[in-house]
Parts: sequence; structure tokens; C-alpha cells
Amino acid sequence: MCVFSRFARGTVAIVLAAGLALAATAARALDLLDGDFQLHGFASLTLVNTTDNNFFGPSDDQVSKDFSEIGVNASWRLSPELHLSAQGLSRRAGGTDDGDVRLDYGIIDWTALSSEAGRGGIRLGRIKTAYGLYNTTRDVPFTRPSIILPQSIYFDRTRNLTVSADGAEIYLDRYGEAGTLSASFAVGQPQTDSDAAKVALVGLNRPGSLDSKLAPDFQLLYEGAGGRYRLAFTALRLDLEYQPGFRDLLHAGKFKLTPLIFSAQYLAENWSVTSEYALRRTSVKDFGPYFYNGTADGESYYLQGTYRLAAQWEALVRYDAYYADRDDRDGQDFAAATRAPGFSRFARDWTIGLRYDVTPQFMLRAEAHRVDGTGFLAVQDNPKTQALQRDWNSFMLQASFRF
Amino acid sequence: MPSITAAIKLVASLLRTPRLWLLALPLLIAGAHAQTPEAAVVVIVHPAMGSETIPRSSLRAIVGMRLQKWPVDAPVKVFVLRDDSPEHATFSKTILQVFPHQLRMAWDRQVFSGQGQYPEQVGSTQEMLSRVASTPGAIGYVKASEVNQNVRVLKIR
Repeated sequence: MCVFSRFARGTVAIVLAAGLALAATAARALDLLDGDFQLHGFASLTLVNTTDNNFFGPSDDQVSKDFSEIGVNASWRLSPELHLSAQGLSRRAGGTDDGDVRLDYGIIDWTALSSEAGRGGIRLGRIKTAYGLYNTTRDVPFTRPSIILPQSIYFDRTRNLTVSADGAEIYLDRYGEAGTLSASFAVGQPQTDSDAAKVALVGLNRPGSLDSKLAPDFQLLYEGAGGRYRLAFTALRLDLEYQPGFRDLLHAGKFKLTPLIFSAQYLAENWSVTSEYALRRTSVKDFGPYFYNGTADGESYYLQGTYRLAAQWEALVRYDAYYADRDDRDGQDFAAATRAPGFSRFARDWTIGLRYDVTPQFMLRAEAHRVDGTGFLAVQDNPKTQALQRDWNSFMLQASFRF
Repeated sequence: MPSITAAIKLVASLLRTPRLWLLALPLLIAGAHAQTPEAAVVVIVHPAMGSETIPRSSLRAIVGMRLQKWPVDAPVKVFVLRDDSPEHATFSKTILQVFPHQLRMAWDRQVFSGQGQYPEQVGSTQEMLSRVASTPGAIGYVKASEVNQNVRVLKIR
């Protein structure tokens, strides 16, 4: 099985890479059906080095190459009302993602209502989850402000739960003189079948599995002055249940996660300021004596500024803070109850970054992080809790290409 | 919050350093020089288009690829020039009143989340004129001095 999956992975990676190269050269030719069919994609490779701890693979005092993203999407506008689209994604991210190709989204979009003043419709299929400002394109380097998104809100550790869901989404847009108001409401089945989703919640080596009820997701977005400023509110509810496996220490426990996110962004010609705040209510119960049950309000926020130094150069500064429990910010109560380090319950990350757009298709990035706390690190990359270091730095280099 | 205090101190000390401000000066001057007067750009549509005017908000939605239908029920077809062409910059900034990079981000967000498509990019003003003239429902833009009788000018209301 393991050998097969490694072989399959390799084959798929080669096929994807070949497809990407082919598609890139033929991109213009593939503008079939008078431009109503479009094929696009992206690929990135990131090198990660950390002074302590591991992030996206073995990076502690060495260079990890275990973070890469490849995606190819196709879209077809059959009529002004009907739009089909799908994206395949292969993502490697240390111990949390192995590069297996999956369907990132696959959507039938029916715009039932349309006028000069707005539109409304329904999307069916696997739909990207509206979650803050960046989630729907979180794996596309060109749409991110930095190599990694602010981890306090866009955890790469638990991404599978919030990346996309299978179901339906109703959307309404209103185009007014002052700005555009968009609302969306989705109900879908989150992806809980991956190991990464399970491990992020219950830890390593658990024989059971994770099930989810249908998850509702609501977002309201206001884009004023032609999108110069953007304000958003997102509410999501995840209701998960753990099914114990053979000889499992854990009981049939329940997770209820309810993140509320407030987002604000201002875009000027040469600079931008973005901030998001998330209040994350987490309720954990019925797992039995070998688990940290309880209800906590997690808190996350970041403030980020970018400045265009020259036509192709952009600099970034960000402060990003994560607290698993805002009533136990330093994690002391947690440490007393579990003997795990308190600093694994928070992370404060100062980031500086530089982006160089060599061409509109090819981008290079460099980024440095100074982090206090290990709150967003993945246990798959850091299995020994006692080996974690509270203060650590990381440095990353990324090259990405798109067509 | 010792790290915040440290960072504020660092930023404050940087701001007090006059040499850094000198470094920023060329950028400011370059920015000021970029504001040279540009030739007027107008919105053009296929000659069979019924309406004479369009609200700016609807035009933004159309160019933003979020409105696929004209009020008369015909499909919209958007043509643009390269992001770095002077006409595209003028069209974005003075007519849509958005920055070209905002448009690009909005298109990227839609294309890579499966919610929309890119507009069709043409290579020159000549191609823009001929494609808009020959494609029903087409919309594009050219310099006011380059409008010909095969397309119609759409006014913003």
C-alpha cells in the first residue's frame, strides 16, 4: 500500500508537472470556444529553515524542501447563467500533506438572477469555504500576501477542515454606487477523511476516525470605493464527532468549533493595510480521562502592511498573534493539567517579507519569522512535545509560477 | 507584550534616523512623477448595443467579471489590454476608479476559487477595435482619439 501510494504520488506529480508545462505553452491555444473555456494553474516550491522546531518538514537547522503546491483548474462558461469549474490540487506540506492529488473544488454555478444592480445564484458541488479574506484561494501563492498566511487564522495544521466542503452555497451581490455588498451562505460536508484533519484535533496514533455534521458557513463582504477598502464578517460552525477505534484510549468525544472572523483591508496604489480578528469558541467534551476536555474561547488577530517599493518589488511587515484560550493566554492552566508546555497554547509571530515579480507569471519571495510560542506547529512535524522550543525563527524562500 | 514594545522602539528609532528618510525621497519623487497627464480613454461596445450609458458600479461589476449579462439579456464579452499598458491604467483609474492591481487580484480570486473567469486580453488597440466591433455583447476601451465608426462609445452615468 505504502509502496503503491509512493509510486502513485510520483506518477501523479510527473503527470501534473508535464500537464502544467504543456498547458503553459498551449495556454493561448487552449482558449477554446472563443474564450469561454479557460485553463489555468500554478506551481510553487518553498525552502524552509528554522532555528528550532520543524515547520513544513525537517527544517530545524536544515533546509526542508517539503512544501510545494501544484494546481490546475478548468472553467467553462456555458451561458451567462451557467458556469462550470474544477481544480485539482497536489500539496506537500511536511507531515501534514503528502502531495496526493485531490479535487480542490468542482462547482456548478447557476446565476438565477442578474441585473445592472446585482446578481444572485446558487453553487453546487465541492465549494471553497468562505473564511476571512484569503481562504478561498489559500493555496495559490500569487493571491497570498506572504509565503505562508497568518497562521493564527489560516492554520495550515487544520486547513483540511475549512478548505472546502461538499454541498450548496447561495450567493447575492449588490452593485451600488458606493460599493459592492456580497453575502453567501453555504451548507456542506467538510473534509474530515484525511489523517491531517484527524491528527490536528485528536493527536498522533489514534485508531478512530472523525465524522462531521453538515457545516453552515456565512459571509458578508462589503467592498467600498471599487474595492479600495474591504470589510468582511464570517461565521462558521463545525460539529465533529470522534468514532473510537480498536483499543482506543479515547471515548466517542465531540468537537464544536465556531470561529467568528472580522476582516478589514485598505488598498492604496502603493501600499495596503490588512487586519483580521477571530474569536474561536472551541468546545471539547466526552473524550474521557485521557484528553483535554473543556470549552475555551480562542483568540487570533494580525495586522499587516505592504508597500510597493518599485514596480516589481513589494515589502511586507506583519504581527500575528494566536491564543488557544484567551482566559489562559500563557497556557499555564493547560500545562498544569497536561504536563505539556504552556507555550504550545500561543504563538506571536513577527514577519517581514519581500516579493519580487520577475514577470507576471513568475514570482520570488523571501520571508523571515520571529516567533514566540509553538501554537501553530503541527505535531506530525514535531512529535516530541518535550523537544519544542518556545522562541524560534524561520526563514523561507519561495519560487512560484502560474499560467 | 515585550516583543511589541521592542518593535515599537525599533520603528520609532528608525523613524528618527534622517538618512532613512533620504532613502525614501527618490520613491516619493518617482511617485509624484508618475502622475503625468494621460490621454483620455473611452469605453467602447459592439455597435448593436442598445444602451447609451451605464452606471459606474455596473461597469465595475462587468469588468470585474461578476456580471455576465447586459440588461437586454445578451451575454457580456470583456476585452482588456495588458495590465501594464497606459490605456489599461487610465481606464482602471479614471473610469472604473480602481487600481489595475486591484482588478488583477479580483480576477485571480475568482478564477482560483472557481467562481469566475479572466477577461480576454488583446495585444493592441487595433485588435481591441476589431474584436469589439465583431463580437456581439463586447465591451472594451481605447483612447478617445482612436475610436472608429465600427464601435460605439458607452458613457458613464
